[in-house]
Amino acid sequence: MNLIGACRFIAASGSIILATSLYAQDCAQPGLSAPERLSRFRDLDAQAQSAMQQKRFSEAVRLYREAICLAPESPRGLYGLGVAQAASGDFLNARESLRKADRIQPTSPLPLAMEVRINFSLDDIDALKANLREEAQRFPRDAQLHALLARFLAEKKLETLALAESLRAQQGGSGDADTTVQLAILENAAGAYEDAIRNAAAVERRTELPEKLRASAAGVAGLSYASVGQSDEAITHLQGAIRLDPSRENSYLALADVFERAQKYPEAVAVLKQGWAKIPDSTAFLLQLGSDLIRIEKYREGIDTLRELLHRDPKADQAYISIADAARKMGNSEQELQALHDLSRHKPDYPMIHVLIARAMLNGGAIDYPKVLGELALAEKAAPEDPDVYYLRGKVFIATNRYREAATALNRSIELRPLEPGPYYQLARLYQKMGKSELAKEQFGRLKYLEAAPSN
Amino acid sequence: MLEGSVTPPNFFFVRDHFDQPDISVETWKVRFEGRVAKPYELNFSDLVELPGKRIEAVLECAGNAANGSAVSNGIWEGIPLAPLLERAQPSSEAALVMLEGADSGRLFEDRSPLPYSQVVPLERCRQDSSLIAFKLNGLLLPVRNGFPARAIFPGWYGMDSVKWLRRVVVMSAQDQASSAFHQSGMDCFYNRVRNSGQDVNISRISSVQVKSSIAWPTDGVKLPAGRYTVWGFAWSGSTAIREILVSTDAGSTWNSTALKRQASPHSWVRWNYSWNATPGEHVVMSRASDESGRQQPMKRDPQRKDGYELNWCVPIHCSVR
Repeated sequence: MNLIGACRFIAASGSIILATSLYAQDCAQPGLSAPERLSRFRDLDAQAQSAMQQKRFSEAVRLYREAICLAPESPRGLYGLGVAQAASGDFLNARESLRKADRIQPTSPLPLAMEVRINFSLDDIDALKANLREEAQRFPRDAQLHALLARFLAEKKLETLALAESLRAQQGGSGDADTTVQLAILENAAGAYEDAIRNAAAVERRTELPEKLRASAAGVAGLSYASVGQSDEAITHLQGAIRLDPSRENSYLALADVFERAQKYPEAVAVLKQGWAKIPDSTAFLLQLGSDLIRIEKYREGIDTLRELLHRDPKADQAYISIADAARKMGNSEQELQALHDLSRHKPDYPMIHVLIARAMLNGGAIDYPKVLGELALAEKAAPEDPDVYYLRGKVFIATNRYREAATALNRSIELRPLEPGPYYQLARLYQKMGKSELAKEQFGRLKYLEAAPSN
Repeated sequence: MLEGSVTPPNFFFVRDHFDQPDISVETWKVRFEGRVAKPYELNFSDLVELPGKRIEAVLECAGNAANGSAVSNGIWEGIPLAPLLERAQPSSEAALVMLEGADSGRLFEDRSPLPYSQVVPLERCRQDSSLIAFKLNGLLLPVRNGFPARAIFPGWYGMDSVKWLRRVVVMSAQDQASSAFHQSGMDCFYNRVRNSGQDVNISRISSVQVKSSIAWPTDGVKLPAGRYTVWGFAWSGSTAIREILVSTDAGSTWNSTALKRQASPHSWVRWNYSWNATPGEHVVMSRASDESGRQQPMKRDPQRKDGYELNWCVPIHCSVR
């Protein structure tokens, strides 16, 4: 009930309308005088509000219904009933109650604003848009109303409508810095970067404002500058955001992202480490930091960082892959395999996991070929048309002198991915081993033909 | 062209006549005026809060080469143009609508710089599918694709889908001669010019011609013998695609293809053909036909003297070893 500030609505509907001649048919009315009815109405209203506060919504509906029997034209009663019906999940009747409240007292924006929420719950976006148009027509200068609607719509991921309402708030004369930052956030998301920069930078400059708000503004300005390719400006504003509010993890992540896009990985690592030191409980930095450390060949530190992430969040799939990648680059196939097996255990349906394991096994020292074939059988079951399954199987069969099976597997791989040179090479070598020099020559010829064709 | 049916905004083709304008969403407006009883304007908030419509449609440049890439397919979301025009109450002599963008420049040295504009029959604007679009593939339009709003006429070539829309001017048939569209020289572009030897016929281009393109293989490719999937897209302006045929012998024989999904009007359909490529020189071609019976021509009409509607079947040469 506090969407717009219930007090504003209640003040506006202070004179409870008691239409004695308009009793609803299902209302059993005792012979009360007008003052008695007013007193009873107020009593029921108070009880209903109390029930609402205690989340006894069905009881609140009953009490409001009883109150409306006494005052069928009371916007306050109808609004209360609508809110209680919505809280108890009866959205269609809630909408009717609110529409009635709105008809009786069209000077209040509250029933329409509540209807926006109900229409969202009913997934009736056309009706929700109709509410917004009505609010715009009847309350064009109510900046607070439009700002609050914008906030609600943004929370519900209706960003375009949120931007529309945020613009209405601005056009309604809202000079409120919070609203301006919200508008800048939505403009940045919409791609209106110049507008976002202008609004955000204006708030960032206002030193009398709380630093957290200025940090948000600086962050938005930085993101918008990054989007228009002005990375120096982006860095300045994002560093400003970190200075103003060192507890916001998004500022570090966005700044690291700007450095990464410029391939300045040591700078990205420094920013992420700074963020992690400031917010040690956060896991948000660890994947990016671990991956960047691996990029600058600090494999051990990268693996330790990613292991820390997995310790806190074992479902961070990409961390296993990055550890395996680092281990492979370090030549530690045992560690690579371990990371992939760990991933397989946590997420057995991870795409291509068995192919990755088989490949890692083949890159190792003492190869257990039956085990590799076992992994490839699992891979085939998951993706029967993955050419890598047959390519790797062909390599295993060659290594174990099962030449005829190797030829079948490699030909299948070529059939599935005819422009990949690897299987042709393996097939050519296989035919050489089998003493079939003409067939080998043919495959080498195709390989040469394929590699000489840049348009492929 | 990408593998999926819907082209991501980053890959959507862009063809501009002038530089992209700087537009603030805070001050942008589109004005409905001209031969109307009640001219009015909408800002961004007014526009996006109106009842909307979503439509999947191909956008193709009228000058897209026969196997060219100036074509994309997107899901457009916007407001139908018809009720917006009706709100302005067009007068009885209204017959045309001039759509004007915020981009401007000079088309000819002896002409004044003027905004980009196109003229579309009022009847076409009143069709259900004609939109003022503000979203592409679920996201607000990128600036290069016309943010905050652009016209979309599914089934028509892209020049009429004016980007960065700021004016919708209702005109009579007689108004065109004095319009900015005429004064800028835009009426000299996008015309079908047919020279039969005796007569020269000039007519305005509008509806997209039936067409298919081959995304793979590319012309001049060298392939080892084997089985390949030849694939591409097909589309038509007014009706759905009915069939796409593929030839691997320069059109001597034709084979039917598999459509990846049911064809629908306005959007393109992806097709596949499984080709067992044997050693030798091959010429691969595709040929689409639509539900209205129109079929891609094998060659360009020799009487055509313009550079538009380039929809003939293109030979793709492949060497297989």
